[in-house]
Amino acid sequence: MDYSRKALADALAADYAAGTLRGGARRRFEKLLGAHPALQGAVSEWQARLMPLTGAVVPEPPPARVWQAVERRLWPAAAAQPWWRRLGPWRAASGFATAAALAFALLLSNPAPVPAPIVVVLQSTGAEGQMVSSFVASVGGDGRSLVTQPVQPVALAADRVLELWSVPPQGAPRSLGLIKANGTTVLVREKLPATLLSGGTAALAVSIEPPGGSPTGVPTGPVVYAGKLTL
Amino acid sequence: MKPDAADWPEKSRDLALLLARTGLGDRAAFARLYERTSAHLFAVVLRIQRDRALAEDLLQEIYVSVWKAASGFDAARSQPLTWLTSIARNRAIDSLRRAQAQPQLSSTTRDDDDDDGRPDAVEAAPDDGPGPLELLGRASDARRLGQCMEHLSAAQRQSVALAFFDGLSHAEVAERLHEPLGTVKSWVRRALMTLKGCLERSVLRDSAGQN
Repeated sequence: MDYSRKALADALAADYAAGTLRGGARRRFEKLLGAHPALQGAVSEWQARLMPLTGAVVPEPPPARVWQAVERRLWPAAAAQPWWRRLGPWRAASGFATAAALAFALLLSNPAPVPAPIVVVLQSTGAEGQMVSSFVASVGGDGRSLVTQPVQPVALAADRVLELWSVPPQGAPRSLGLIKANGTTVLVREKLPATLLSGGTAALAVSIEPPGGSPTGVPTGPVVYAGKLTL
Repeated sequence: MKPDAADWPEKSRDLALLLARTGLGDRAAFARLYERTSAHLFAVVLRIQRDRALAEDLLQEIYVSVWKAASGFDAARSQPLTWLTSIARNRAIDSLRRAQAQPQLSSTTRDDDDDDGRPDAVEAAPDDGPGPLELLGRASDARRLGQCMEHLSAAQRQSVALAFFDGLSHAEVAERLHEPLGTVKSWVRRALMTLKGCLERSVLRDSAGQN
């Protein structure tokens, strides 16, 4: 390690986080940031040091018009629902359903009539440009089994995994476990919320996580697939 | 009002959930995130960008960015409040840059009519709020850094407080304090490095206290 360069990087990161790096120097530094993880790390450390100092600033509630303007800009007119709520049930009825139903059929150990499986198509959210395909998740009609399968194999960095989440109507997402990027995953009933099909899950989502899954219990990486659970 | 820098991590834990749900497209969670954080971010922005109308526009831009960037927030790497405050400060500092490039916006020029460099120039603040030096004192107390920061001269503390809380550039701090630019630059650097040392020792102290 070149210590003089490391010290310089630290000093620049300090100036950037403190706000004293200005003008052209600030813009050049921001361009460098994108390409240099070590510099990003130094900036993150300085931000973690300095930002809590702003806790001493007396809060100043903004006027209501600011929030109204935010809403108008993000959701002009008709787009009045989060994107995963806008996923229509017609998508579930598309050709993907066949593959998922076949996968589900393999699971059936009980020949007695059971409620039909619920099929959810998880569309790419566009959060990661290269992940364009979609996932199919099939929930057993009794809510006790869940099968996922990518429509096409998903390219994923070697040190990253996919984690499936149940998104309830209220409250925090709940992990259903890790799923394969290139094949069928069968999730066992112990992992599934008892209320999966009785209102406990509004949508399913897939996020990119470090090996072993999210260390925090909530999605930490980008959410790359999501689909509404329509009963 | 009690300084709340000390419970930063605790607040951040609650906000992590809201930010994760915001990343999933949950508008209700985003609205709660706004309720919980907008007064803090607005206050931080207002200290740097003192034109209220511009500060309101900035806050709007900041939350639009937060909505769009939330799914990329990495809870393993930074605390939500640190992440949000960094976004807000960057926007506010960039707005000063744009304002300087557009000199016709006279509303953004600072109230720099003080010309005698008395200490009360440093403590001058809008709306009779606390001055930057007082804020630095409160923040240091909250994080138990007071003793450590005492090793800095008053001028060094003033320099870093004006730069950090009020977004003054080195040149503006130099002008305000009637000191040479090079002197102010080295004061700010020294103050930041002292702060870093203080925080590292305080972390060590905390972890030793837990064992």
